[in-house]
Amino acid sequence: MDANKDGPIVGRVLGTADATPLTFWVAVNEDAYLQLDDVVVTERELPGQPSVRIAGVVTAVRARHEGVVFDSDVFLVADGTLPATVQEAAEITTTRVDPEVYVPPTPGAVVHRAQGDARAGALYFDRMDRTIPMGFGRDGAAMFLNADFLDGSRGAHVSISGISGVATKTSFATFLLYSVFRSGVLGGAGETANTRALIFNVKGEDLLFLDYPNSRLDATTEAAYARLGLVAGPFPDVRVYAPPRAGDSSGTPDVSSRLTGVDSFYWTLQEFCADRLLPYVFADADDERQQYTMVVHSVTAHLARIAQPAEGGVAVDGTRLNSYADLVDYLVEQITDDSTRGQWAGSAVGLGTVNAFARRLIGSKKDLSRLIRGDLATRRPHAINTAESAQVTVVDLHNLPDRAQRFVVGVTLRSEFERKEKAGTAKPLLFVVLDELNKYAPREGTSPIKEVLLDIAERGRSLGVVLIGAQQTASEVERRIVANSAIRVVGRLDPAEASRPEYGFLPPAQRQRALLAKPGTMFVSQPEIPVPLCIEFPFPSWATRPAEAGPPPSSTLRSIAQANDSFAVVARVGGGIADDEIPF
Amino acid sequence: MKFHVDAWDPSYGVAFEAGGSDGPQAQSSAQIQPDVELPAPAWRAVDAPLGLRPPATVLVVDGVQRIDARVWATDDDGVTHPGVAASYAAGVVRCDLDRGAAAIATTRIERGLFTPFELAPPLVAGAIRYPARRIARGEPKDLALGVQRHMRALEVGVSSEERDDGDLLIVDGPLQERAHLPRALGYIKTHRVEYLPPELTAVVTRLRSGQRSPVFLLGTSWHRFAWYLRLPGPEGSPWAGIVRAECSADLLPADAIALAHLSAVTLPRFASSAYKDPRAPQNLIPIAGLERKLRAMLGDARLLHRALARTAARTVA
Repeated sequence: MDANKDGPIVGRVLGTADATPLTFWVAVNEDAYLQLDDVVVTERELPGQPSVRIAGVVTAVRARHEGVVFDSDVFLVADGTLPATVQEAAEITTTRVDPEVYVPPTPGAVVHRAQGDARAGALYFDRMDRTIPMGFGRDGAAMFLNADFLDGSRGAHVSISGISGVATKTSFATFLLYSVFRSGVLGGAGETANTRALIFNVKGEDLLFLDYPNSRLDATTEAAYARLGLVAGPFPDVRVYAPPRAGDSSGTPDVSSRLTGVDSFYWTLQEFCADRLLPYVFADADDERQQYTMVVHSVTAHLARIAQPAEGGVAVDGTRLNSYADLVDYLVEQITDDSTRGQWAGSAVGLGTVNAFARRLIGSKKDLSRLIRGDLATRRPHAINTAESAQVTVVDLHNLPDRAQRFVVGVTLRSEFERKEKAGTAKPLLFVVLDELNKYAPREGTSPIKEVLLDIAERGRSLGVVLIGAQQTASEVERRIVANSAIRVVGRLDPAEASRPEYGFLPPAQRQRALLAKPGTMFVSQPEIPVPLCIEFPFPSWATRPAEAGPPPSSTLRSIAQANDSFAVVARVGGGIADDEIPF
Repeated sequence: MKFHVDAWDPSYGVAFEAGGSDGPQAQSSAQIQPDVELPAPAWRAVDAPLGLRPPATVLVVDGVQRIDARVWATDDDGVTHPGVAASYAAGVVRCDLDRGAAAIATTRIERGLFTPFELAPPLVAGAIRYPARRIARGEPKDLALGVQRHMRALEVGVSSEERDDGDLLIVDGPLQERAHLPRALGYIKTHRVEYLPPELTAVVTRLRSGQRSPVFLLGTSWHRFAWYLRLPGPEGSPWAGIVRAECSADLLPADAIALAHLSAVTLPRFASSAYKDPRAPQNLIPIAGLERKLRAMLGDARLLHRALARTAARTVA
C-alpha cells in the first residue's frame, strides 16, 4: 500500500481505544487533518492470506491536550509553562471490508485519506453500474446514488425528511430529478425522453419556474455541475398546471408570478360522476373517523350509474346540473328526501349519518367548485396526464384549500397509477414528487389517498412509479411507505424528531449533526452503503422564485398568444380540440 | 549463566527518599561565603528589580528513573550477583514564554542492567534490551546510585542541546557537571542540610513569596554561587516554598547576582499548585509535564516486569 495509490497518509490506527472491525479510532498526524465524512482506508496483514482492506468514513473527530491532567492546565499550556501535545483523533465507521474477513485493523497501521479508486471503493461506487450524481461530499468529490435502487431494478422510492424551510427538501428532490434526467442513467435518449415526472407544488410558486434558467447561476455553480457530469440549466421540457381562478367563468389559471405557459386543470362534472371521484372529496383527516363512508360509496356508485353527460354538465334523472354547487344541492336534496334516500344511500342508513354526509358535502362546495366544472368546454384540454404532457409536469396546489389539495392529489395519483397499471410495463418510469406526505399518508387512519400512496409504495416499483416523498416528520408518515423507500434522505431535523426510531439508520453522530445541517446539506442513506453519506448538492440551475427567473423558454411564449395549442388540432385527430376554438 | 527476577514489585524496599519540603534536618559543615552580594550583617530579603522580565525562552531539564525489576545473576560457578534492571530518561522542555508555547524539545531514554557482575550479558525482554552496566558494589544503595549516575549523565547530555541566545537553562538538581553551560541554573527543591548559620537562615525563613536571599558562595565538594528563593504558595512551615538555586562559581559575582535576579522573576511563574502536584510549589510545572511524558516513555512497569520475569525463566529452563 503506497501513499500515492490510495492517497496521502493521514495518521495511524490508535491503540488506546479498542479497534473493532466496524469502528476504530485513528490518531491524526501533526501535519494532517481529518474532518467528518472524510473517507479513509487502511490495510491489515493476515498470516497466509491476502491482506484485508478496511475502508470507512469519519464519524467523529476530537482534539485534546495530551499530558495534562486538569482542565485548568490549558491555561498553563497557553502560558507556555506546561508542555502538552495537541492530539487529534478521528472515529472511523467502517463502510467496506475487502475481502470480507472481519478483523480489526492493527493499532499502528497507517491510514490513508482515500482518493480516486480507493475512495470509490470505500463508498461502493465501483460496484454501481449506473450512478446518479447527487452532490459533493465534504471532501469536494462527487457522491453518487445507485440508480438500481431508484428506478425499481432493485429498489425504488425516496423518502426525504427535514424541517420546513431549512432542510431544502423540495430543492433536493428536484435536483435529484434533474440529475436522473440529465445523467443518462435511464438508458438512452429515447428512454430519458419518455420518462415522466409529476411534481406537486405545495408551497409558494417555487416550482413553477423549473424551465426558466436561473439568472443567479455563476461560473462556480456551472463548474460544480460539470464536475458531477451534468450541464447546468433549466429543465428542458416542463408543463405547468394550475387550478382555475376562483369565480372566473373562463377558467384562467390561478397563478400570480408565472404568467405564460400555464394551463389550467379541472374536472368536468361528467368525469366527476363517471370516474367516481366523490370519495376523494372526503379525504380529510376528520372524514376518516366518520361513519358515512358507506353513504359516500353508495352515492358514488349511484351517481356513476345514472348521470348522463350534457354539454359540459350532467343530467341526473332529467335534472340538468351545470356546476359542482348544483350537483351538491341536488344530492343533498335527494338524500334528505325520504322518498329518494333509499335509492341513493341504501335503506339501512341512519338519519344522523346521512346528515353528517350532507353537511360535509355542502362544506366542500366552496373548496371544490372551481375544480369541478360544468360550464367549460368539455373538449378543451384540462386533464393532468403525464403521458401526454411534457417530461416534467408541475401541478400547482398552493392556492388551493386543504380539501381541494387532497382531492387533486388523490385523483391525479389514482389516474396516473391506473394508467401505469394498464400499460403493464415499468418503463418508461414515472417519478412522483409529493411534499407533506404526512398529510396525505398519515400514520393513523385510512383515506382513499393513503390507499393510492400505499399502492404506489408497495407495487409502484414493479409498475414503474417512483415516489419521491418529502415530509417534516417521517415518524408521522405511514410506516409501510417509509419502509418501502430504498433511499432515505434527511436534512435538518427537529431535535425531538431526530430521536425517533424512524431515523435509526443515522448513526448517533450524524443524528446530532442533522440538528444543525445547513440548507443544501443532506444525509443520504442507500441500501448498499452502511453509513449515510453527507452530501451537499449544488445551487439549482433553474429558477426557484420569480426574482431568479431568467428569460422565459420559447415554449411558454405560445400561451401569450393563445391558451390552446393550435397544433393540437393536428396532433390529436379525433379527441382533439374543436376547429372553432382555433383562434385564427 | 542464569537470571532470576524478584517476584516482588521492585518499588517495595526502595530506599526511602529523604526530605519533603519541611526543611533541612541537619546543619552542614560546608564552607560559606555570605558576602558576595551583601555583607552578612546586612543580609535581608531581596526583591527583584522593578521591570525585569523573564527571558523569552526558558529551558528546563529533568530526568526520571525507574527500577523495572530486581534481578539475581548466577554465574557458571554458582555465585549469585545482585542487580537491577532499570529504565531512565531525560528530556528538555522548551518554554517559549513570548509565544505562550511549551514543547518537549528533546527526550532520550536508556535502559540498563546494573550489576557488579563483570561478565553479565545484556538482558533482553521482548523488544526491549537492557545492556549490562557494571558498577563497583552490589549494595542496594550502590545499585540505586549507579542508576542515578547514568540518569545524570543522560541529563548532562541533553542539557547542552537546544540552546539559543538569551535563554535560561534550569536544571533539576545540582548543577555540578553542567556548571560550564552558559546561563544555567541548578534548581534544588529539597533541603537536606542547612548551609547557612542560624542568623542568616532567619532571613531565608522570613522571605515572602517572590523574594530571595542574597547570593552566597557555597563550597562542598565543589564551589558554586547559591541563593534561596520563596515560591508563591500557601503559607506553611518556615521552609514552605523555599528552593535553592545555584550557578557556576566561575561567573563574576555581578553576573551571578544578575542571574539571581532573573531567577526571582522567572521561577515563581513556574510554581505549581498544591492540588495538582503533591510536591507543590517546588516541583515546577514544566518539570511535572516533562516527567509525565518521560514516565510514559519508560513504558508500562508491570508489562516490563513480566517480560523480564519471562526472559529470566527462559535462562533457568
